[in-house]
Amino acid sequence: MSEIQQTTSPTALPGAEELRQTLRQALSQVIDPEAGMNIVDLGLIYRLEVTSEAVEVDITMTSPACPLGEMIIDQATAALRTALPAGLEVDMKLVWSPPWEPARMSDHAKVHFGW
Amino acid sequence: MLNADLRPLARLPLLFLGMLSLLVGVLAGLARFGVALPLPVASQAGAHGALMISAFFGTVISLERAVALARGWAYLAPLAAGLGGLSLLLGMPLLLSQLLLGSAAAIMSLGSLLIARRQPALFTVTLALGALAWLAGNLFWLVDGVISSAVPWWMIFLVITIAGERLELTRFLPTPLLAKRLFAAIIVALLGGAALATQQALGLQVLAGGLLALAMWLLRYDIARRTIHQEGLTRFIAVCLLSGYGWLAWGAWLGLGGGFAPGDAQRDAALHSILLGFVLSMVFGHAPIIFPAVTKVRIPYHPFFYLPLLLLYLSLLLRVATDASAWRQAAGIGNALALLLFVLTMLVSVARGRRDTPL
Repeated sequence: MSEIQQTTSPTALPGAEELRQTLRQALSQVIDPEAGMNIVDLGLIYRLEVTSEAVEVDITMTSPACPLGEMIIDQATAALRTALPAGLEVDMKLVWSPPWEPARMSDHAKVHFGW
Repeated sequence: MLNADLRPLARLPLLFLGMLSLLVGVLAGLARFGVALPLPVASQAGAHGALMISAFFGTVISLERAVALARGWAYLAPLAAGLGGLSLLLGMPLLLSQLLLGSAAAIMSLGSLLIARRQPALFTVTLALGALAWLAGNLFWLVDGVISSAVPWWMIFLVITIAGERLELTRFLPTPLLAKRLFAAIIVALLGGAALATQQALGLQVLAGGLLALAMWLLRYDIARRTIHQEGLTRFIAVCLLSGYGWLAWGAWLGLGGGFAPGDAQRDAALHSILLGFVLSMVFGHAPIIFPAVTKVRIPYHPFFYLPLLLLYLSLLLRVATDASAWRQAAGIGNALALLLFVLTMLVSVARGRRDTPL
């Protein structure tokens, strides 16, 4: 999942990278029901960063005309909360720039969809 | 305030307003088949198409678009469409209903054009063209005063909107450039056919040709061909889609033979293969994900979802296959019961969802 930015801020916790992996795992439980594929492999997560106060996530949707965005964000937030250590908040932002494109999908998703 | 999104619970009255048009619209359709119904409903027989497409689908599609836009003013579209339907039901001056529905389509067109500007792409432009087709239909209805002038536009409003949403999902697949160009040409043929039909009967055949090509395109390139191999809700949606494309092809085939023309013996079969077989399949398939997205009420999947779909197809097969008026009436009642069973299935599923996951 090289698409997700590998940023660690100066305030990053020790063990933040392991936590990022756990959180990515949690996010990959959220499925786009129409594509039958999870939002991490679809490349919808643009940024996932753990700071001392919060896990910050930039998420996008494949289409600004799709009404599912709000629901997917709720599900993703709920999934993160189940995996998050106490005291950390979820700060999820819906971003549209840059627009999603197929190149953002993981190799797994690309093979699945016949690329 | 006009820029703030509407809370999920506040969206529900808009949905109910649309459902009111659906309810009376369906009963008005049955009245056309000679089913004895109370006068307030039977008197709506002539408004069946306006209630079903412009008022009901106009309300729910513009509501869906407003949720995607997340702007307060965008909800004026479903509000105006819902009120347009209500004013039809209350027997208020026709002009008022036409102006309300026209305003609704104009607002949704504006919102869809903004989306296309935010993300210029074939699929966003297609969705905007779908909204504009709704607007065109409402304007022709307003100017000509007869619903049959609006029907081709209203039909492609639904078809182009669905096509745009399907095209969006094909982006997960490696769709050849030529296929995308073909898609664009098909949309142009649909719009051109509807425009030509205002002057010449040939336009309806062009429209039918475009619809047939679209059905083939969707059968070939839709992601449903892959997702049908999955399970649960994803598979159910794929079944609805692929079988719906079959109905689209059948309706288009009848249209090629002249079935879209007012007064043609096949008109009922041609229009309803598309508007029930194709469009309602999309509704049955997507309600379990779109309804929760709009209202934040969970609808867990259950294999029972296939039953209303099956009942719809069986009753529709009867409707397109028979000439006998008694059988056609029975088929029409079957169509309505399929819809009722679908609504009940959704309501029971909402209750199941609440029981399983207390919020």
